[in-house]
Amino acid sequence: MPTLLAAWVATTSSFAAPADKSPDAAALVAALRRDVPARTPYTEVRFSGLLERPLILRGELEYLGPGRLGKRVDTPYREQTRVQDGEASVQRGDRPPRTFSLGQAPELEGFLRGFAALLGGDAATLAADFTLSASGDAHAWQLVLKPRDARLARRVGEIRVDGSGDTPLCFVTREGDGDVAVLLVDRLASAKLPARPSQPQLEAICRSGAAP
Amino acid sequence: MRSRVALLAVWLLALAALAAFAWHTLRIGTDLRSFMPPPQTPDQKLLMEQIGEGPGSRLLLLSIDGAPEARLAELSRGLAAALRADARFEQAINGAFDPSALDEKLLPYRWLLSPTLDTHALDAEYLADQLGQRVEDLASPAATLLKPLLPRDPTLEVLALAQRWSPPKAPIVRDGVWFSSDGAALLLAQTRGAGFDPAVQGAAIDALQAAFRALPDVGAAKLTISGPGWFTVLINERTRGEADRIGLVSTLGFVLLLVLAYRSLPALLLAGLPVLSGGLAGIAALALLSGSAHGITLAFGFTLLGVAQEYPIRVLSHRRAGEDALASVRALWPLLATAIVSAAIAYLAFLASGVTGLQQLAVFTIAGLLAAGFSTRYLLPRVLPSRFHDVATHAWLAGAVRALDALPRPRWLPWLLAALGLVVLWRAPGPTWENDLAALTPVPQDLLLRDAKLRGELGAPDVRYLLVLHAADADGVLALSESIEPRLDALVQAHVLDAAELPSRYLPSLATQRARQAKLPDRAALEQALAAAGAELPFRAGLFAPFVDDVEAARTLEPLTPATFASSPLGARLAAMLVAREDGWLGLATLSGVHDAAALDAFAASTHGAVRLLDLKAASESLVVAYRERILRALGLALGLLALTVVVALRSIRRAWHVLAPMTLATVLVVVVERASGLSLSLFHLVAVTLAAGLGLHYALFFERPVADPAEARRTLHATLVCVASALLVFGLQALSSLPVLRAIGLTVALGVGFHFCLSILMARARR
Repeated sequence: MPTLLAAWVATTSSFAAPADKSPDAAALVAALRRDVPARTPYTEVRFSGLLERPLILRGELEYLGPGRLGKRVDTPYREQTRVQDGEASVQRGDRPPRTFSLGQAPELEGFLRGFAALLGGDAATLAADFTLSASGDAHAWQLVLKPRDARLARRVGEIRVDGSGDTPLCFVTREGDGDVAVLLVDRLASAKLPARPSQPQLEAICRSGAAP
Repeated sequence: MRSRVALLAVWLLALAALAAFAWHTLRIGTDLRSFMPPPQTPDQKLLMEQIGEGPGSRLLLLSIDGAPEARLAELSRGLAAALRADARFEQAINGAFDPSALDEKLLPYRWLLSPTLDTHALDAEYLADQLGQRVEDLASPAATLLKPLLPRDPTLEVLALAQRWSPPKAPIVRDGVWFSSDGAALLLAQTRGAGFDPAVQGAAIDALQAAFRALPDVGAAKLTISGPGWFTVLINERTRGEADRIGLVSTLGFVLLLVLAYRSLPALLLAGLPVLSGGLAGIAALALLSGSAHGITLAFGFTLLGVAQEYPIRVLSHRRAGEDALASVRALWPLLATAIVSAAIAYLAFLASGVTGLQQLAVFTIAGLLAAGFSTRYLLPRVLPSRFHDVATHAWLAGAVRALDALPRPRWLPWLLAALGLVVLWRAPGPTWENDLAALTPVPQDLLLRDAKLRGELGAPDVRYLLVLHAADADGVLALSESIEPRLDALVQAHVLDAAELPSRYLPSLATQRARQAKLPDRAALEQALAAAGAELPFRAGLFAPFVDDVEAARTLEPLTPATFASSPLGARLAAMLVAREDGWLGLATLSGVHDAAALDAFAASTHGAVRLLDLKAASESLVVAYRERILRALGLALGLLALTVVVALRSIRRAWHVLAPMTLATVLVVVVERASGLSLSLFHLVAVTLAAGLGLHYALFFERPVADPAEARRTLHATLVCVASALLVFGLQALSSLPVLRAIGLTVALGVGFHFCLSILMARARR
């Protein structure tokens, strides 16, 4: 789920107009603001203790305005997730869609609120839900988000965003149980990956993408 | 003087000893059942077991609001955990997935409990589909929740069971716990003790509120409680509170009245001793004979004992100037003894009623009347101060006697009143009897609305209806329950009811469990199927070994029975739904949101007696009817005994007629007035009518007494006026109460006292 949200953020920010930026977290966020609708392809790689080899998903992410987001999985299976009016619906293959209220998992709502702030370039609101730190330079920056809410922190250790200029390119989410999800968006979505990518390989891609 | 003080000291010491004995010996029961008549029909029997003990009536509905959502969710979890650790509560659920619902030992049983195997086999095709979905789950919002379950339970059977076991119409879940549509956290708590037992429920609710207050950071959050147990406690407190307030005011008025009447404070205080002696003697007799008494018995008993307050008043009013108290009591005693003994003999009829509560009432009242009477005769005159004021010297009293003597007394008037009364009774509006005891102790409308709202949000069962399943043994009940599940589902679809909770929801029959067991593949077949299913999937090799072990274990398990299941929390819930009977077993299914009881009844009828719809309200009303019939029979017998005693004591049928006729007519007129104003009569009215009749007997007996001395006639009138005024004061105040039960007693006695007084003057008073 964190990955999903990170992806939406990525979607929206990937079309931002490039401009030189200092690696100041608040200024970085302020520059991420962008127009809707916005779409981007993505590649998601999941490393899990349950899996022998990482799970690789490809598809498209879309941001349709405040509170309205979508994630489509094309391979290795077909799935469409939509978030609208505080509800998420998931449709897999030809099965009827399953709908659930975001309120069931308030940390997800916290996430949404945080990312809406990220999309809106609202550093102050974002800072209410996460502690922010930035490093690097305008051409290759890193933003690290750590949840302030204890419940969210149990699920998600941290989210690291790699980007260049006004464009985030790579989201790395470390989950509470040690699983890691890496989301490559924008021009990195089509990056060549080995059949069984390792975490260091992916991190290298993230950094190289941010430093062309 | 010295001997007077010594005797008073001995009397008071004796009373203290009696009180101490009663305090240590008598247990006061609050369970309604000990006051009820023995059940006759199967429905009544079931009601007596279920009243308060049925799953629905032990359920408390809780909501927490007044804080941010995350805080409310934390409080809900904290409260549920605290209640689960409290022996007074059988269970507490708040919507959180409770992993302990199926403990480690029972986990392999999930294959026998879940309906999955009825429609699927654990083959490569099914497993491939399931494992494929798990891969997708890992990339979904649910991943962090599901990951810990996957190695042992890749088909998520535990979740399927949790869904099956959650209430049929569960509230929405936010932050992992139930919330109402307006943002309050919701919980259900089931007490161990009976729902209609105010003492047990009071303790449970105190514990509940203490547990809530002890939670960290409660802050402004507010806990709201509802449900039958809460209403029981609330009504109990309200009734007691109002009775205490009215009691205080009327006691002050009573004291003032007596001070005005006798102008002596010591006399007044001493006059309270006979009634106190009577009350204590009554309690001690109960303690000695039965060791326990119901709270209602004591309340009714003290009401009936109100008659005894007349004894000392008669002594005070009838004292003549220049005569010591003992001499005037001796002169008064034959009449007083007649009143006391005839009342005591009348109450003997209650002993034959066969209802424990009424027998205890008789024991209490008879012992109380005798003790009050004999202490008035032998103790009170010896401790009264020698200085007193002869009431016969009041000038206004002489005038009043003259006015009464001058009143016209047409012989036809009583007959006309009786005839009119009977016509009115015949044409009176509304039902004659009030069978719904709850109508006398109504729950405020806003609380009922709140309860209905919470009940709707929580999908909690109705308290009124139960579906009763009958079979030869417990497994038969479960099989029957399984067989009617589809038909009930159809009724839910047709909006006959919102949901039904059947025993088979928690435990399938042995046959069903064995059929599912037979479908489990052996280890080799399962491993082969798993390998084939997971060939294309990224799961780690050997990840599902715990799953394979569980299936292998499930193949040889002895199917679960209610007895073996009983150790788990859900088993306890099931146990409450299964009842052993000498002629088989009963299964109790709770129903929520019954919209069409007739349709449910028709469904039950179509099962040819295997399933019945039990209407707890109808059953409890039939019990009240049976109870009232016994009281009426006892009262009829009592009246006969009373008439006989009065005839024997007065040695004249004509004189007895003068005493009994006004008493009977006044009783009829009380009923006539209440019925004419649309009131339906309840048990409480009957008790109040009985008390009024006891008072009326006194008025008639004393008025009927032929007296030569005009001063003595004045004293009789004075005594009777004081008695009437005090009874009107005490019961008239009660008649103003906002609680129907107090109003019923107060209005009836006050009306009765008025009628008895007037008719005694009209029909009994000796003419000079």
